[in-house]
Amino acid sequence: MFTRHVSDQLAAHVDGQLDTLEARRVESHLAQCQHCRAEHEQIRFGMMCLEHLPTAEAPAAIWVSIAESIPERWLSRPHPFQLWRPAFAALAAIVAVSAAYWLFSRRPETRWEVIERHGVARIGAGEWIETDSSSSATIKVGQIGSVELAPNTRLRVVTERPGEHRVMLARGAIHANISAPPRLFFVDTASGTAVDLGCEYTLRTDQAGAGLLQVTRGWVSFQWKGLESLVPAGASCRTYAQGGPGVPCFDDAPEPLKMALESFATNSAALDTILVESRVRDTLTLWHLLWRADLPNRGRIYERMAALTAVPEGVSREEVLKLDRGTLTRWKDELAWTW
Amino acid sequence: MWRLTIAILAIAAPAMAEGLTFTIGGPVASQDFHFKAAVFVFRTAGCADSGKLQVSATAEGVINGERRSVALKVLPASKPGVYGIYQTWPAEGQWVVNLKGACGNLGAGAIVPIGPKGFVRESAKFFPRTATGGEIETSLKALTQGENK
Repeated sequence: MFTRHVSDQLAAHVDGQLDTLEARRVESHLAQCQHCRAEHEQIRFGMMCLEHLPTAEAPAAIWVSIAESIPERWLSRPHPFQLWRPAFAALAAIVAVSAAYWLFSRRPETRWEVIERHGVARIGAGEWIETDSSSSATIKVGQIGSVELAPNTRLRVVTERPGEHRVMLARGAIHANISAPPRLFFVDTASGTAVDLGCEYTLRTDQAGAGLLQVTRGWVSFQWKGLESLVPAGASCRTYAQGGPGVPCFDDAPEPLKMALESFATNSAALDTILVESRVRDTLTLWHLLWRADLPNRGRIYERMAALTAVPEGVSREEVLKLDRGTLTRWKDELAWTW
Repeated sequence: MWRLTIAILAIAAPAMAEGLTFTIGGPVASQDFHFKAAVFVFRTAGCADSGKLQVSATAEGVINGERRSVALKVLPASKPGVYGIYQTWPAEGQWVVNLKGACGNLGAGAIVPIGPKGFVRESAKFFPRTATGGEIETSLKALTQGENK
């Protein structure tokens, strides 16, 4: 069976220039075509690189060289334009202000598209969307991705500005697939905020805030009152009502470790199991436990981490036990190569 | 005696010199959001002059018994010496990624098997030179026989 590729439309899709039906057709094709998906990612990557290019100021010397190239006779007598310059400037300003007002007053309202079983709608800041036990919905989050709502989910759009896309998940489950620079998409829950760092993940929560964050691609930072958990692809993290994020753990971690982690807060023997069962990549869990353990146990965790991986230069036991932020960040950056 | 000493040092020097090496990791290791969809990222070490560093990669695979090879783009991350590999090879079949590195006289290689859940770190092989064709075929055979999951 032959499939028509969508290479010609990928750039327009990245720019958001396709109409709804055409965009949906392209997205459907991308879901099945590795070739076009890879090309789409490259175009998006290129656009992101362009967006991050710094603006360069023209050197002052350029104006000198321009002036020097203008024939002398043009400089020696006033040009008619110069005599009328103030009037032209005022007229241009009036036209510019008028045009801006006209455009602004007619700017289409920024509302996200919602695709549901019975059709397409739009949702804006302050509005709720709720699915029942037999329905689901997909929200297109501006130009940066989508959020799928599972059945029995209630969600509110908090902000939908170009620099901040924020929703509040009251209950239920969402699957977010975001392609954007970090810290553009946020999901608030009763137990904290999931800060998108460029990723795909599933977030479940009940009304009290207890739930589970599971990351499929990229990584997510879950934050609550200064407590933060970094959850990379292949890992999950519980969230707790009035407790914020738990300790992340890889989904393929040994079962005894996972079970011990569930009771770490209340069972002092749980740490023994965690330390014994931990593998090299479980330093993800151990690193986060450092912040939550008392001093004696912090020392035990450090020893286990040092036995599993080489401690990098500049990371000392003393600074780790003191929870020196710079030291722990340096160690995390190195440990991430094993996660 | 001193001639013998110099001769021994001359022979041993290349062995004592630090070689070019690869380290592989998941996208989170790059700390670069552009690479969230990368299959894996890798970094180099041991190249004193980054201007001389050359890295390249190919995907080597088998689809329905037919041997295939796909040249890959190695994309640099925002961190110097860190690169990302995206999947631009077919979804079907069994594949490994063959990394090649060179820095002056130093060389490095790696074979990274790709499984259903991404790169298989535990089965990756690293060499102080480019991997040979035979080593690539051995890795592919192991994948095909289900040894690397």
